[in-house]
Amino acid sequence: MKTRSNWLVIAATAVLVVGVSWAAWAGAPVTVTSLVDLLIFALPLAGIYAMSATGLVVVYTTTGIFNFAQGAIGMFLAYVDWELTVSHGVPQVIAIPLTVLVIAPLIGIGLDRAIMRHLQGKELVVQLIVTVGLMFAFIGLANMIWDQNLSHTLPTLFGEGGFRVAGIVVTWARLLTVVLAIVLAIGLRLLLFRTRLGVSMRAVVDNRGLASLVGARSELVSSFSWALGCSLAALAGILLAPDAGMSTSGPLTLLIITSFAAAAVGRIRSLPLTYLGALILALAIEWSQTFLQFGGRWATAPAAIPTVMLLVVLLLLPQAKLQFARLNVVRRTERISTVRDTVLGMGVLFLVMVVVSAFLSPTNLNQFALAMCTALVAMSLVPLIGWAGQVSLAGLAFAGIGAVAYARLGGASGNGFAVILAFLVVLPVGALLALPALRLQGLYLALATLSFASLVELVFFIQPFALGTQSRPAERLHLLGMHFDGTRTFLLLVTAVFGVVGIALVALRRSAFGRRLIALRDSEAAASTVGVNVLETKVAVFMLSAGMAGFAGAFLAQYYESINQAQFSMLAGLPIVLALVIGGVATVSGALFAGLFGLVLILIQQSWHLTLFRAIEFLAPGLAALGIIQNPSGAVVPIGEAFAPLLPWRKDAKADADELKAALADPEVGDLGLDRPFTEADVIILDRGLAITNDIPRPTAPARSGS
Amino acid sequence: MPLLDIDTVSVSFGGLLALDRASIHVEAGQVTGLIGPNGAGKTTLFNVITGLEQPSSGEIWLDGVAVTRTKRHKRARLGIARTFQRLEPFGSLTARENVLVALEMRRRWATERYDPRTVADQLLEQVGISAVADRKVDSLPTGTARLVELARALGTAPRVLLLDEPSSGLDDDETDALGRLLLELAAGGLGILLVEHDMSFVMGTCAYIHVLDFGQIIAHGRPEAIRLDAEVQRAYLGTAAGQAT
Repeated sequence: MKTRSNWLVIAATAVLVVGVSWAAWAGAPVTVTSLVDLLIFALPLAGIYAMSATGLVVVYTTTGIFNFAQGAIGMFLAYVDWELTVSHGVPQVIAIPLTVLVIAPLIGIGLDRAIMRHLQGKELVVQLIVTVGLMFAFIGLANMIWDQNLSHTLPTLFGEGGFRVAGIVVTWARLLTVVLAIVLAIGLRLLLFRTRLGVSMRAVVDNRGLASLVGARSELVSSFSWALGCSLAALAGILLAPDAGMSTSGPLTLLIITSFAAAAVGRIRSLPLTYLGALILALAIEWSQTFLQFGGRWATAPAAIPTVMLLVVLLLLPQAKLQFARLNVVRRTERISTVRDTVLGMGVLFLVMVVVSAFLSPTNLNQFALAMCTALVAMSLVPLIGWAGQVSLAGLAFAGIGAVAYARLGGASGNGFAVILAFLVVLPVGALLALPALRLQGLYLALATLSFASLVELVFFIQPFALGTQSRPAERLHLLGMHFDGTRTFLLLVTAVFGVVGIALVALRRSAFGRRLIALRDSEAAASTVGVNVLETKVAVFMLSAGMAGFAGAFLAQYYESINQAQFSMLAGLPIVLALVIGGVATVSGALFAGLFGLVLILIQQSWHLTLFRAIEFLAPGLAALGIIQNPSGAVVPIGEAFAPLLPWRKDAKADADELKAALADPEVGDLGLDRPFTEADVIILDRGLAITNDIPRPTAPARSGS
Repeated sequence: MPLLDIDTVSVSFGGLLALDRASIHVEAGQVTGLIGPNGAGKTTLFNVITGLEQPSSGEIWLDGVAVTRTKRHKRARLGIARTFQRLEPFGSLTARENVLVALEMRRRWATERYDPRTVADQLLEQVGISAVADRKVDSLPTGTARLVELARALGTAPRVLLLDEPSSGLDDDETDALGRLLLELAAGGLGILLVEHDMSFVMGTCAYIHVLDFGQIIAHGRPEAIRLDAEVQRAYLGTAAGQAT
């Protein structure tokens, strides 16, 4: 059955490739010259992809961390190289080795020591979000140092000269790239199989705990891997920068998407297959640029080639093995509010908004409204990521589809039904995304949702029935004879909606369905053995989350009043997940935090015009993400604890601990040494159990039959 | 006809035969023991019965119906329930909620009507952990968490109950109480398959015992016979010095 579905995916891919080539054929003749031309451009590109992807693979296999910041680190170091060469006149012969072999490894070792080492054994979503935060931090740092209003260009290495193959000039830089990629492949092979460090690295890949027991120095290995990963990122960045251009959140940072598409071919494990993936990808991209022509509704489609390839590879992966006994995963402590507390809390929130909004300037009112809309989007991820443990990075993409549905189905005139339609339209799309979720787990699922978000951005919005190449108007609601046109009334509307949805969500968490989701997250194996239909439950929660995001999208559409593709891009969605995880991924208050977090940053930026704060939009989420290493439960838990004394009906932590102690002191569930003292009888029983002594009479415990 | 019949089941991991044509039968109304040294394949057998792993050959029959290809959650509905050797509780739920998840699922197929909360409290009482009903299971000691898993398994109203080392983490008094509970449950018609290392516990509760070694059943019979079996002594009991002499 598995092979049948694999053939289906392969056949579909072939049809897609042939079909797209057929439909978009530009008419250029396929000659030896044009094919050689294609190859000359594709090979260096493949080399760059392979370097970057190899960095991902080395770090992932040896430390278990998938480095989202790989592209951003390369971008940052390309800027460093620019600073050295263009700004300070250091020749490239010195600058490149300095950047790649000294600065990059130092950054890598620093990251490993300061951050990554502490991520071991944390939940996947925390591990992912920390490196996503790191990506934003590097973007922010680069924005701070290199003013983005000025243009930075890194000249082509060794100039435009080169030699000719079949009449086409091969520049020295292209030759160097290919040679470096090959040398790297050979070097890594020798490193992994011929050196003691390499053997340690491979041992760590197979079993980290065991490897450290037999003396593989896992700390050295992880530092080395991060150093190597950063060097490769730097090399890829510097080699790509002259062709792709330099910007902080442009192609260099987005190289990460291409890299993980290439790495996924080798299951983020095999280096030869990663090289193969990089080659296929580069050939596909150059093929589309040489022979195909895309326009109109498909104008942005070529940019989706890496995404499509990633999705195909993910669909070809075998069914994820059921995971048992994940004892080392640090679980969150999450407090589930009662419905009554939530109703009170939402009431207070609404009153605060009523009062605060009376004093806000129109600009700030707008920011508050955006914050509440964002919180609504973040809330759609709470049941999916927080409860069911399915990491999705596609929340904002669903909101985008919802926004389009709203605008198309009555929202253009503010019809209230359009909000409900936005919810309903997105439901089946959510079910569609649930399908890969049935096969994939953890990181692979997160990447599949990310490629979905990317496809929505690049292929869906531009369709004429969606947004086309322009933006689409959306009117704010006419409801109950009121028009929520004013910024303040709209803010209060969104706050009220957030409150109602939040209360419903808390009620859902306390229902049988909510418990089932938690059961699925805590142990899929055990959940299925008590009769939980995993397939049905996953589809249900994906649909719920998608529908909620679509609903939130209807309000985002009203906030913007004119929707475009950039508002719902893949990258724009990541900070929402990030802020939600920082706030607390399993709680409604975490979603509120996610909304307000962005708001606070914008307000800081508006208030103080300092260089530091120019970058804060990126830098702060990055730094805050690092904070969750210390507290994976999210920020709202300690905030909640701080406010707990104000709510007298809540138990504080100490009373809670005392109660556990009392409960365990019950002789039926006593635990030796923890809540009752050792007695002489215990010592004898232990001795017997350990076979130290035998046949000693046991004064208290009754003798058992058979012994 | 036995309630649960495992018929020449083999499982291979790569080249390694974790189970080699193992046959076991579990009768209703009694506790059947499954013993054997670590790595003998006991937990693998449990995984095959509950559908967490697929056998490479052999059949599993529940009351005359082949369930070898049946989906996991459907096996639960047919009446197979288990606990796990390496704990698999729903750790961030309370003990009561753990049992509730099972009871709420069972409402979908059960013919009788019941209030899940009332039944959950009864089950917690029955296994003796009412005192910690509202504690998150992650905060409970191992032995207690095992009892939560037992109560959760009972929540599905099983016909066959598979227990994977339920007494580890319990003290002697608790183990005795557990033994009485298992006999009581069996007396009510439940078929229990018990994997255990505590030999006195096994000998005291089981009516019939199968011995697994390197994936093969090397002996089966009544406890008295197993105790005297030379093969068993060599393979298993000989290593547990003084425990069952």
